[in-house]
Amino acid sequence: MKSYDTTIARRGTDIAGEKEKKKTAGKRLSRQTRENIFGYLFISPWIIGFLGLTLGPLLFSLFASFTDYNITSKMNFIGLDNFKRMFTIDDLFKTSLWNTLYYVLFSVPLTTAGAIFLSVLLNQKIKGMKFFRTLYYLPAILSGVAVYFLWMQLLSPSTGLVNTFLGWFGIEGPAWLFDPEWTKPALLLMKMWSVGGGMLLYLASLQGVSSSMYEAAELDGAGAMQKFFYITLPMISPIIFFDVLTSTIGSFQIFQEAYVMTENGSGGPGNSLLFYNLHMWNNAFEVFDMGYASAMAWLLFIVVMILTVINMKLGKKWVHYEGGDNK
Amino acid sequence: MKKGIIFIISAILLLGTLAGCSGEESAQAEKTKDGKVVVDFWTFWGSETRRPIIEKIIEDFNQSQDEVFVKHTYLPWGDIWTKNLASVAAGNPADVIINDINSVAQRAENEQVEDLSNYMDDSFKDQFYPHLWETVMYEDKPYAVPFNTDTRLLFYNKDAFKEAGLDPENPPATWAELEEYAEKLDIKDGSRYERVGFYPLWGSIGAASWMTSADGGKGFIKDGELYINTPEKKEALEWLLGWKERLGEKNVQSFEAEFGSEQSNPFIAGKVAMWIDVGTFYTQIRDYGKDMNFGVAPIPAYEEGSGNWSDGGGFVAEVPKGAKHPEEAMKFIEYLTGPEAQKYWAMENYDNVANIEAAEAAVEELQGDDKYVYEAAVKNLEQTQLFPVPVEYPDYQSRINPHIDNVLLGKTTPEKALKEAEKDVEKLKRK
Repeated sequence: MKSYDTTIARRGTDIAGEKEKKKTAGKRLSRQTRENIFGYLFISPWIIGFLGLTLGPLLFSLFASFTDYNITSKMNFIGLDNFKRMFTIDDLFKTSLWNTLYYVLFSVPLTTAGAIFLSVLLNQKIKGMKFFRTLYYLPAILSGVAVYFLWMQLLSPSTGLVNTFLGWFGIEGPAWLFDPEWTKPALLLMKMWSVGGGMLLYLASLQGVSSSMYEAAELDGAGAMQKFFYITLPMISPIIFFDVLTSTIGSFQIFQEAYVMTENGSGGPGNSLLFYNLHMWNNAFEVFDMGYASAMAWLLFIVVMILTVINMKLGKKWVHYEGGDNK
Repeated sequence: MKKGIIFIISAILLLGTLAGCSGEESAQAEKTKDGKVVVDFWTFWGSETRRPIIEKIIEDFNQSQDEVFVKHTYLPWGDIWTKNLASVAAGNPADVIINDINSVAQRAENEQVEDLSNYMDDSFKDQFYPHLWETVMYEDKPYAVPFNTDTRLLFYNKDAFKEAGLDPENPPATWAELEEYAEKLDIKDGSRYERVGFYPLWGSIGAASWMTSADGGKGFIKDGELYINTPEKKEALEWLLGWKERLGEKNVQSFEAEFGSEQSNPFIAGKVAMWIDVGTFYTQIRDYGKDMNFGVAPIPAYEEGSGNWSDGGGFVAEVPKGAKHPEEAMKFIEYLTGPEAQKYWAMENYDNVANIEAAEAAVEELQGDDKYVYEAAVKNLEQTQLFPVPVEYPDYQSRINPHIDNVLLGKTTPEKALKEAEKDVEKLKRK
């Protein structure tokens, strides 16, 4: 398959190349060099952006993490003091790390399962499905601060829709964002509402699963559950893998929700919404401890990196790539 | 042909990116066409009410000048100080900026602001309230000039007082009276409250203020010493818990969740009879209260004679470190904090202003309720304290607040919480 495609492509360029030659015969760069130049030219906006706007600051923050950098007046090398401080002096560091881990641990499985469940439902062939798909995808396009404000109203303890709804069933709803035990579940609830984005990915991959497999399984007497667990799940496992990986990384970076939904961005009642990035932000811009904040950022990077590597290793065991030999 | 197109597109992309990198920087003119020095003035006053007021002040100043021209740059509240920080670090800051009054020393220590001592004489400071001037001093040098401030007052509903058989001209003066009045003002329907007399954590006041008030006006940190775990502060927390117990956690929460501003402010809507808020809260009563019959009084004292302490905040005008025209900037700051501009600011939006002469002139000129509230607010400054963030303990509130939260949520006792809080703040100390 593959080699055939490339031959065609090559032949195409050859022809184009010959035409060029005829027109401007003379001193010219070799075709290879010219292709390279064009290649780099095409990605140059990204390269320039990366070198100037990403790599520089990245390396700078790595250096800053070993200093007492305060943005404006000092930058003395203090070795590993910032990292020591996280584990010995700064109590809020532990709180923020715990809050973040709690959030990741619940949000990733819940949103993944939720999105898969939803996409399977929306993959049925019934009338009006397009309408439902649109409906469930809608929350995903409404994002950011407006949604947080909306949810703050929905979760209002006595008049919010959520508690009013629970009241119909005789359940007295919690105080949600006012009770430290319920603030994180409240955020999770909000996240579940907007699984539409992930749902779309799964829906696309579900439609790529060949119906012949289901037919074959049916002939062998497989039930709905068996079809789901032995055909559907393995077939969409690359997408699940991708989703878990990116949403884990994304969940570790949770910031906006806590910043917007707590009073003065303080981290909520009893610091129950003080997430890692919020604590880092407070250190950087409230007390100007940019060195310490940089160290926190790099520590988070290391944590996320390790988890991603573990994820990749584990992924090999359960992700099924169609046509590949699973290596 | 195709290649030609590709080449052109790439070239455009490349040029576009390069242009994006180099542009704008030099666009900021330092002088106007007629040779006046441009002073870039950053504020976060972009609202319909504040923007015209500050721009009028700027315009008046510009017309009086033949050397300086002030240009107003509005930046949203959420961005202005991070942007300032970045521009100071980049060596290209504004000339004047409005900044938080309680963290001047912190900015001075971190070299984010210019020392202004060379641009003012010794008598300059006499124009301002001394408790405000104190906040701008760092190592005996002024680093900013106070602009405005606020103070907290007890607003009470006179009609509700009459209804409950209380004397509307005699508001509560102590904590004990406050409790007594509040109970009389409550209206209950079964276990639900239709009107709550008072709840000490609503409005513009928090647990820390009550704790300070109980402790004879002493905050958590004074002259580098910690006063977090004191018997008086513990008592204040227990007192606050008492209120919560009396009303019931659920009632407090459900009331709190409905709080809004303007018409739906619970005091204006008649759902809470006494309410502590800043002086400017009056403008909401005036505009949305439909001739509400209200009174103002200082915050009740812990006990008779222990002081009607209030907290204050506010803003200063300062010159970011590395600004190009500090002298011209100071000329504008002088005007901005001088009697004329300050009086205008006070008359237009009822803020407490930092300039004493201006505040007193505004009291003279205002009429009716405007005058009544503003006079009370100006008088209240005598008992208003600011708690600037000490340089040795940056961010100390973030260590204390969660412990207080936990007390109020019934998760720990005041005693344990204050001990822990003091320990946590001690750890924070910088050498």
